Parts: sequence; C-alpha cells; structure tokens
Amino acid sequence: MPREVFVYIFSSIHQVLRAEKVLKKSGLPFDLIPVPKEVNPDCGMALEIEPDRADEVTAALTKAGLVIEAVYRRRGRDFQWLPQPKPMS
Amino acid sequence: MSRLIYCDQAATSFPKPPAVIEAVTQALTEFSASPGRSAHRMSLAASRTVFEAREAVAELLGVDDSSQIAWTLNVTQALNLALNGLLQEGDHVLTTSFEHNSVMRPLSWLARARKVEVEVIPVPPDGQVDPAEFSRRLTGRTRLAVVNHASNVVGTLCPLKEVKKALGGVPLLADAAQSAGAVPLDPIEEMADLLAFTGHKGLLGPTGTGGLWVRRGLALGPLIRGGTGSRSESEEQPEFMPDALEAGTPNTHGLAGLAAGVRYILDTGVETIRRHELQLTKLFLNGLTQIRGIKIYGPSDPNMRTAVVSLNLAGWSPSDLALALDREFGILTRAGLHCAPRAHRTLGTFPEGTVRFSFGVFNTAGEIEAVLTALDLLSRRRS
Repeated sequence: MPREVFVYIFSSIHQVLRAEKVLKKSGLPFDLIPVPKEVNPDCGMALEIEPDRADEVTAALTKAGLVIEAVYRRRGRDFQWLPQPKPMS
Repeated sequence: MSRLIYCDQAATSFPKPPAVIEAVTQALTEFSASPGRSAHRMSLAASRTVFEAREAVAELLGVDDSSQIAWTLNVTQALNLALNGLLQEGDHVLTTSFEHNSVMRPLSWLARARKVEVEVIPVPPDGQVDPAEFSRRLTGRTRLAVVNHASNVVGTLCPLKEVKKALGGVPLLADAAQSAGAVPLDPIEEMADLLAFTGHKGLLGPTGTGGLWVRRGLALGPLIRGGTGSRSESEEQPEFMPDALEAGTPNTHGLAGLAAGVRYILDTGVETIRRHELQLTKLFLNGLTQIRGIKIYGPSDPNMRTAVVSLNLAGWSPSDLALALDREFGILTRAGLHCAPRAHRTLGTFPEGTVRFSFGVFNTAGEIEAVLTALDLLSRRRS
C-alpha cells in the first residue's frame, strides 16, 4: 500500500515559491513536485507535505498571507479533496 | 585607447557589479530552461531566479507582496502597459510638460485612438512641479495622473508623496526610469499607485529587464496575452498577479542579473548611493561655475535633482561638444533632445538640445575633475 501524503495546490508558480520560502524559514519539511494531473491540468508545481505536519504547514502559510487553492490527501493515484477553512482577509 | 569616463548613466549604467555578470553567466550555463512551465530541476531553478528577482525589487520598494510586480522589457513597456491597461474612452489623464516620449507618445496615441483627454500641466523651466496644479485640474473623469519621479533631462525630482496627496485617490503612475536605485522608493505605497521601472539604469541590471508595480486591488488589462504556465486548461488570461500582466517566457537570464543588481543596491544602501551621487553632482556643478560660457539647466539646488546635469557651452553645438569630449578625452555623454522634446521646449533648448552628463554609483571624484578639465580646455576654443 503506497504511503499517504498531502498535496497543496496554489494558483501559480509565484505562490508555490512564496510557500517554499515561508516553509524553509519555518524549518518545516516539504517536497516540491509537479502538479499531479489527476487533480489539476496546470504545468506548474505543488507542495507535498507529510500528513502529521500538515496543520503546522497550513498555519505557517496562512499566517504569511498565502492562499492555498486546494489540499488533497494522496495515496498512490487516489486523491481525496480536503475542504480548507476560508483564509482570514 | 586611454581609459573611458562614462557619463551616460541615465541612458544605461556602466559598469555593472561583477555579481551581475556572474549571475547572468550562471543562468546561461547552469539553468537555461523555461521558468514556471516544466517541473524539472532546471526549470525550477529558472523559476526561483525569476521569483527572487521579484522579491528583491519588492524589498527595494518596501512592499511585502512581490506578485504585484509584473516584468516587462523596460520602463517604456511598463508605462505602455499601465497607460493602455487603465485609460479607456472618455477618460481624463493629467501629466506634465516635463515627460519623456515613453509617456507622451502612448498618451498621444490614446488621445487619438480612444479619445482620452490628455491634460499637460506646464511646469517652470527648472522642472519643479507644484502639486496643487494637479488637484485644481481634477474632474469626475480623471482616471490617472502620470509623472516622472526624476527628469531624464535635468534630473529634477518630483515630490511624489505630495502629488499623490493632491490627487485625492486618483491613481498616480510614477515613471521611475531615472530614480530606481538612485533615490529611496520605500515605502512606495505612500508615493504612487503604479510604478514603472527599468533594470538597466540605476538598478544595475542588463538591458531587456524592467517592470510595473501595481497597488493591490488596482486592476488593469494586459498589453499582451499568452502562455503563463498557469491555468493551462483555459484559453483566457488568468486574472491573478503577476500572470494577469505577463505572457510568454520571460527574460530569465536578464532577470538573474537584475536580481544581483538590486541585491547590490540593497547591500550598499540606496541612501549611501544617493549621498555618493549627490556629492559628485555638487562637485561637478561647483566646478562648472568656474568655466566661461557654460549654461546649466535645471534646479539650482542640487538636492532637488538626481546625478543628471544638462548644459550648453558657448560656441559649441551640443553634438559637436559631445563628439569632442568622446574623441579627444574619452568622455561619454549624450547630446540632443534625450527623447523628451516637450521637456526641452520647457527648458527653452528645443530643437538643439543640451549635452547631458549623468553619473552613477561607480563614477569617482577624480573622473569629475577630469571632465571639468576637459570642458575648461574646450571652452577656450570653438568647434
């Protein structure tokens, strides 16, 4: 059985790289991957996050004012969309 | 040939910091791939380069959201983007009689093509604009005001904060061609609503780099549409920044250099650069008063200008003087109208123009002395 990860999708490569900068500064683990075609036809990048660090990651990104477009729970080629709380404006 | 003295910084800065050359070389040799498109490591390195360049410019402007900066080829394209993107049929726009053709030509076209009403505020010959001139001309149709932050002809600085206040909410587009990297632009949000800049002058980057900063919440249409690497399923241009205003593969190699140039400025400090350039300008202006037949244009207070000095020498045409300086002394200047015929009419120097000396962070007091000596020698004869 493939391991479970969370996939974070953003509106553009700019936002992905902003997220990368925030997570690097916060010392939170992440991986940059091509956007899985199962969830988004973009040619861009996405963040892969360990499920047990997802809350910290979401908090750090939201605090930095980033808008996360979508989060998916991934197991192999199986994707489940996870509703996110609306960002504070 | 003996050493050159480069006094044409207002056109393109020279030399560039070594870090700029290294960054362009690294981009060309190590990750010459498309940013924001593919997802392999070389494309990612290119994406990070473009991102870091945006972050560097954002830091220079004192803004935290670098996605509000869209890349262009130069400041002319940035100004065209802003003017074309904002001004619609029947709009009223304010500008001054001290602007470059990069503003006057698009406005002239918009007046014809979209019936935009262009109102040109006359400024006195020193170029110093009274902010109250803007407020008294506001109408219900005034969509925008556009001014240069510093004149490319005589260096006059515009009090952007005061002009912005006088506009009472009407957006201000600032042309920072001559000021970016030379005078503080932080925090830009107090000075303008849109800022057009170029990378190849005071920001010490390569040609082919520039951009437009747009205040968040101010929407404008793009100049061109096309691939962005985002929303690829759609045949419509995305509406989020910066993709809304950018299309096609950007000048990654140039932006690598621009990022290094801006980092150099941030590390040195804009205030330090300003002090150095002001010192050179004062030295030059003081020296010029000792030379017979020199006429200096622009503000009498050097604190009111960037390191740009326009002059004429009795008995010499601007082009002959510039040629003699180049051929005999290796001193490189720019003669003529400087793409700003309206500014030269305001100065009373149309159509012959002036000889413009412009200094930068790498010019030295020794070079200024050498230029003064050359001008003194030339003042003793005629062309």
